[in-house]
Amino acid sequence: MPRFLILARDASDDVAAFRRLSPAEMEAAIQKYIVWSRGLRGKVGSDKLTDGGGRVMAKRNGRLAVTDGPFSEVKEIVGGYWIVEAASYDAVQKLCETSPHLDHGTLEIRQIEQT
Amino acid sequence: MTVPGVVDGLFRRSAGRLVAVLAARLGPARLDLAEEAVQDALLRALETWPHAGVPENPEAWLFRVARNRAMDRLRRSARHDRALEVMATAPEADDGAGGGGAADELRLLLLCCHPALSPRARVALALKTVGGFGVGEIARAYLSRPEAVAQLLVRAKRTVREEGLALDLPDGDALLGRLESALETLYLVFNEGYSATEGDRAVREDLCVAAIRLAELFLTDPLTERPELHALLALMLLQASRLRARIGPDGALRLLDDQPREEWDREMIAAGLRHFERASTGPRLTVWHVEAAIASVHAVAARAQDTDWERVLSLYDDLLQLKPSPVVRMNRAVALGRVRGPAAALAELDAAARHPAMKRYYLLQAARADCLLSLDDPAGAGEALSRALEHAGTEPERRLLRMRLARLVQSDGVLSPGPTSPNEGDA
Repeated sequence: MPRFLILARDASDDVAAFRRLSPAEMEAAIQKYIVWSRGLRGKVGSDKLTDGGGRVMAKRNGRLAVTDGPFSEVKEIVGGYWIVEAASYDAVQKLCETSPHLDHGTLEIRQIEQT
Repeated sequence: MTVPGVVDGLFRRSAGRLVAVLAARLGPARLDLAEEAVQDALLRALETWPHAGVPENPEAWLFRVARNRAMDRLRRSARHDRALEVMATAPEADDGAGGGGAADELRLLLLCCHPALSPRARVALALKTVGGFGVGEIARAYLSRPEAVAQLLVRAKRTVREEGLALDLPDGDALLGRLESALETLYLVFNEGYSATEGDRAVREDLCVAAIRLAELFLTDPLTERPELHALLALMLLQASRLRARIGPDGALRLLDDQPREEWDREMIAAGLRHFERASTGPRLTVWHVEAAIASVHAVAARAQDTDWERVLSLYDDLLQLKPSPVVRMNRAVALGRVRGPAAALAELDAAARHPAMKRYYLLQAARADCLLSLDDPAGAGEALSRALEHAGTEPERRLLRMRLARLVQSDGVLSPGPTSPNEGDA
């Protein structure tokens, strides 16, 4: 079965918005997330990426340039990912439709090349 | 759908407890810091638990993270004096979820009810800190604006700092006074949740639950576990047992007689009656004792018609001595009607109606309507219900009154129509 990468992107103001939630509202959000994450059929792995930090490496004119990432101009940061085994993009999309992440961020789906 | 491990209400309860535990170590002048550290921990849980799973002991996890965040924040602030050492040397094993947590919560609650704070500030501060409510939730519950609540909290915390209010239990009479203030504050919160029929219903029910939980804190210390506490708990539990039955499926308010008693929460009634028994060991008869007694008479009646109205009337006589308010007088009149008939009740209601506070009190007109109907005066009843409708503030109340008006019109062909009913004279 093919594998897909699901990337969760967050706008940087989301963290501020989450901070303003009451404990009860956070609990409701976390229940939704956990329910969705647990119900993700074919899940092979998932991780949250640390906030802040990150490096971007590139060669410019033959010389290695390393900068701190994510870029400050980019409004959206990858917050975490899931890897699932599924039959098709449609199948993964269906799984993602119920994700609470879509209430405030974006999900990007990419199929992993099978070699 | 809820998740095993994240028990309903865990975050709110944990937030309250953790703020109390941290405040005990950081000092009340650093309430803001305690709250922020706890918020940090909850946010962290939100970010990581969906990926890493819910930890085996969620409360202990939250406490560890909150503690670490508090220390981080302390280090970053310019003046951390001894607090950092206190935090660092606290036993690692203490997860804040055990018995020690209740003692800290109790003290924080008592601090929130300090006489230096206004009654409104006490409510807001108690709900925000040890109650675990958010600013928005408090605002919605009290039909206020979040900015106003936030301002109230800023000022309250400033008072705590500037007056040097402490978390230690006061002594002797001062403790009794503070406990009294705390119980009054909690009853205010409970009442807000119980009697309001508009606004966010979920939050209002949460207010009742919170008031009961916070009052139960006082059970954990023999100095505060007093008969008046049991009386208040009895009253709150007995009233809360009827919460779900108060609004009917049609969205109309249902008064006592019309509530299907199978919808009453039997466990709460049992708990309320147990507390009522403990309440009667004290020397002082408080308003809560009498109100709890009245609630218990209703609670033990299997059906509305089994109610011991003579006892209720006698209790209202006692209550009127302690709390001579027109509302109490009105309620007594209703009981009087059950014992001595509608004419006697009507006379009392009309007397109570003369009080300026009763001019806009729709329940009084609704009660008069009942009496007038029993006295074969449907026109008078209709007029009273119409007046009640003018003053009813919320939709559930209005629906109740409209229903009664409609029933009146149906049963009496010659009644002149109220504002919402068709003209019976038409063919």
